[in-house]
Amino acid sequence: MARPHIEPYVELDHPFKKFGVSGFKGSNYKVLSLDTDTGACTLKVRFDGGFKRKPGLSYSDMEIFVLNGKIKVGKQTWSEGHYAFIPAGMAVGAIEVSQGAEALLMFNDSEPSFVESDKNHQLALTDAFSSVNSYEDKPWGGGSIVSPSVATGCLIKLLHFDPLTEALSFLYCMTPRFAQDNISYHDSAEESYHIWGTSWMMQFGELPTGGYFWRPPYINHGSFRCKYGTIAFGRTDSVLFNYFHFNPWTNPDENKLRAASTLYRKRPQLYQWAASDGHNHPHGPPDFENADYHSDPQVRMLHGEPVGGSVGKKRRK
Amino acid sequence: MTKRVQDAKPARSKDTDAWFKENVAEQKKRYAAIVQEQDGLAAQREKWVEAFLQIIQTKGFNVNGDTRRVIKPSEIAKKPKGKHQVVF
Repeated sequence: MARPHIEPYVELDHPFKKFGVSGFKGSNYKVLSLDTDTGACTLKVRFDGGFKRKPGLSYSDMEIFVLNGKIKVGKQTWSEGHYAFIPAGMAVGAIEVSQGAEALLMFNDSEPSFVESDKNHQLALTDAFSSVNSYEDKPWGGGSIVSPSVATGCLIKLLHFDPLTEALSFLYCMTPRFAQDNISYHDSAEESYHIWGTSWMMQFGELPTGGYFWRPPYINHGSFRCKYGTIAFGRTDSVLFNYFHFNPWTNPDENKLRAASTLYRKRPQLYQWAASDGHNHPHGPPDFENADYHSDPQVRMLHGEPVGGSVGKKRRK
Repeated sequence: MTKRVQDAKPARSKDTDAWFKENVAEQKKRYAAIVQEQDGLAAQREKWVEAFLQIIQTKGFNVNGDTRRVIKPSEIAKKPKGKHQVVF
């Protein structure tokens, strides 16, 4: 069933556990959300002072956001606010944590894995690697990167963009006294971790520092308030479109129908073609520009298809 | 389909499988606790909804960015019977 709706979850109220999986021994973790089929997950990990690991790779695309402390990775030092996208199979340098550090670790395709290696896997798509200090090296931009957009006072720093699915990873902030009086839902799953600050949503109440959510598609959230300001790390698993409305009681099925009805009205030919018997392509129609997009793990994940070798129960019907 | 690194992943080791199963079970409990906690907010949530419906009929509803539209009473949906579910 992919990841369940985890909202809200305040991780600060819960203890760390010892991480016994190869490559992570000597660190501690909390699961924030976990895909019950594939093992894809978001973790908060605490590396105690003295943690060391040899160079190696993972079989999953991985994202990391450093919350505090310093992590030496090969020749680089990643400190507070550092973000990296590490494609599956790409070898990263030896890791050393001298004074202790905490980070969000996201394994996008399968459970945490590590293979000691100083060479990339032959299939690794290393061009996708990115590494940036989001606090120091990126400016805040307006939240209106999509339309309809959020209200003024919600700012973002885009950290990663998947060109096939338009999945986003970003830092965002809400200024003090931010307010937005609408209810929103998206076609994408949405995830957030509050680095600092408290915000409020009409459905769930307050989400404080250390607050987290993984919200599957089409679930109502909002209206929105933030009294003193918030800084947070967020992600979507595909394109972010804001469906705004003001009916507090709709459910995800009704929201999905409303989303489909906009396709019916705005892209009538596409809707008719996709909905016609014999013309639908449950595994994705051909795309002359991206002929091999069916292999993309993120695309497969979105359609509940197996990703990660032996894991994943669903098979193509 | 082109083979990807993800397709070359070996089967889960015993240790990793145990880690996975343990954390799936814990997540189930966490989910149940969240549902219970959110159900406990029902009375407060009704007040929040009431306030929201007032705001959109006076100050307006954010249509796009800061653009607002004042909602007419006739546009407000009727509250359905049953539980107002927010966690799915």
